[in-house]
Amino acid sequence: MLPVEGGLGNEPLLAVDNLHVEFHTRAGIVRAVNGVSYTVDPGETLAVLGESGSGKSVTAQAIMGILDMPPASIPKGEIRFKGTDMLKLSEEARTQVRGQRIAMIFQDALSALNPVFTVGWQISEMFRVHRGMSKGDAMKKAVELMDRVRIPAARQRVNDYPHQFSGGMRQRIMIAMSIALDPEVLIADEPTTALDVTVQAQIMELLAELQRESQMGLILITHDLGVVADVADKIAVMYAGRIVENAPVHDIYRAPAHPYTKGLLESIPRVDQKGQDLYAIKGLPPNLLELPSGCSFNPRCPYRQGNCETDVPPLHQISGTRGSACHYWREVLDGDR
Amino acid sequence: MGRYIIRRLLQSIPVLLGATLLIFAIVFALPGDPIAALAGEKRADPNIVAILREQYHLNDPLLLQYWYYISGVIFRADFGVTFADVPVSQIMAGKFQVTLNLAITALVIEALIGVGLGLWAALKRGKAIDTMILASTLLLISVPTLVSGFVLQFLLGVRLKLWTGLDIFPIAGITEGFRSYLLPGFVLAGVSIAYLTRLTRTSLAETLRADYIRTATAKGLPRRRVVARHGLRNALIPLVTFLGADLGNLMGGAVITERIFNLPGIGNQLFMSVYLREQPVVVGIVTILVLIYILANLAVDVMYAVLDPRIRYE
Repeated sequence: MLPVEGGLGNEPLLAVDNLHVEFHTRAGIVRAVNGVSYTVDPGETLAVLGESGSGKSVTAQAIMGILDMPPASIPKGEIRFKGTDMLKLSEEARTQVRGQRIAMIFQDALSALNPVFTVGWQISEMFRVHRGMSKGDAMKKAVELMDRVRIPAARQRVNDYPHQFSGGMRQRIMIAMSIALDPEVLIADEPTTALDVTVQAQIMELLAELQRESQMGLILITHDLGVVADVADKIAVMYAGRIVENAPVHDIYRAPAHPYTKGLLESIPRVDQKGQDLYAIKGLPPNLLELPSGCSFNPRCPYRQGNCETDVPPLHQISGTRGSACHYWREVLDGDR
Repeated sequence: MGRYIIRRLLQSIPVLLGATLLIFAIVFALPGDPIAALAGEKRADPNIVAILREQYHLNDPLLLQYWYYISGVIFRADFGVTFADVPVSQIMAGKFQVTLNLAITALVIEALIGVGLGLWAALKRGKAIDTMILASTLLLISVPTLVSGFVLQFLLGVRLKLWTGLDIFPIAGITEGFRSYLLPGFVLAGVSIAYLTRLTRTSLAETLRADYIRTATAKGLPRRRVVARHGLRNALIPLVTFLGADLGNLMGGAVITERIFNLPGIGNQLFMSVYLREQPVVVGIVTILVLIYILANLAVDVMYAVLDPRIRYE
């Protein structure tokens, strides 16, 4: 049977604990993830928010076990799925979890689907390889799944190739493939970034609905604050490979407790500020080869004080469900600058 | 698809006409008089020369001569006669079979060794075996057929038999059937093997970096399946193009190999005919080579559509 069994107890469905990921490159060691921790429970949606290079996708790929090692390595940390540390499992055991218990969908469905196989073949492959089904039965299941993700005329389109579908439909096919074997955790890595706005909303709705039906834990990776607000239960904001703030979604929108989160929220264009300059966080994302000493955000931070350049702020526990990695989270919460 | 193939075949007509005209003009421009050459060292009787020149239309302008020739080919499938009054089709008959056997043997050897080594190198990228394979392809590219042909003929054709008594590779000729083509086939394929190895390595390595390979891994498929089904199927596409186009190259490039191993193919015949100024034979052989080239390229394009569903021909 599958290697991971047993009850949950107090253990979350999926827990990332103090995860570190490094890439060994010719230019030096890139510390992409520096001690990330988060948890997801069944039926819960965690949004991981951050800009490019913040380590959000790398964390997800570490969970899936699809990082290329080398150049990547995981010097520290645990990824516990139902209490079992995935990093200690054999490659064979991990392959059993991958795709079947923890599944993932990717940003650009056109390049993420194989161009030379029909969509039906690609979806049904899950049943053929993992469930040993016959070609015909597996294809029937593929049609059912395509119906379930609401692809019109699924029966006729099952033998079409990925390039014959629109962007939104392709992402639905990715979703169908990922939920084929009823995974307990679904990681969606920027699932709507390549799509236009109306289609984005439909895809998010579909994901939320599938999650309600199956009580999957959903990790939604995005840099789009707008996507997050409606569907997420809690948010983890990442910056330079660390979580700088985590909180239930409403708390963050009401009163951010980290200067970076605050900057992100203020840089959303608003209708009532039409004509005014849009707020932007000044400076550039940090160079992961040479992270600033102290708090990684300090060169860009309006709240910076002396010890920000020397002391790495721990994730201060603000309440039972909130944390902020800022020495001055009280000032940020109060809103003085 | 059918309409596409018909259109491509129609398009090949002007290509064929142009290619034959070009060859015709080049042979026409060769110095020396073929009729005078017929008489050897002696001075030919001017009256006989005049009659012969008239008989073979040699006094007519180039384009008119070309018209006499090409109209015979098109309307009567008649490739003309040599100055010794032997029909060209009779000279070519049988010789194309030899060269085709040689080229196909070379193509199979090339595909097996080239793709095999390329895949091996791609899967062991950066390791010692990868470097060794790359270095040996460099060696293959650098050694001309002229050298590799004679060296292998000497080592495997002559010495192997003397040292071990094993009679695997005949020294020359085609009397041993299939075995006769193995060594010449390998020599002919040499440079192509090297190119194909490198192409395969690059193609697979590039494919394995694609997003859909990451997807296949994330689906929990075994590594073997990810590489063999999802990777290889995509990496194959450029290789088919190379192999198809190379069939034409191999047939045209057989001249040296056929000379070394004394195979009675069109390469050998082409060499002799150029030497003897047998203009109709040269043009006839080249015309058929061009035709094979065109057909091979058409086959490649059709294969493309079969292998890559994104390509559709209207």
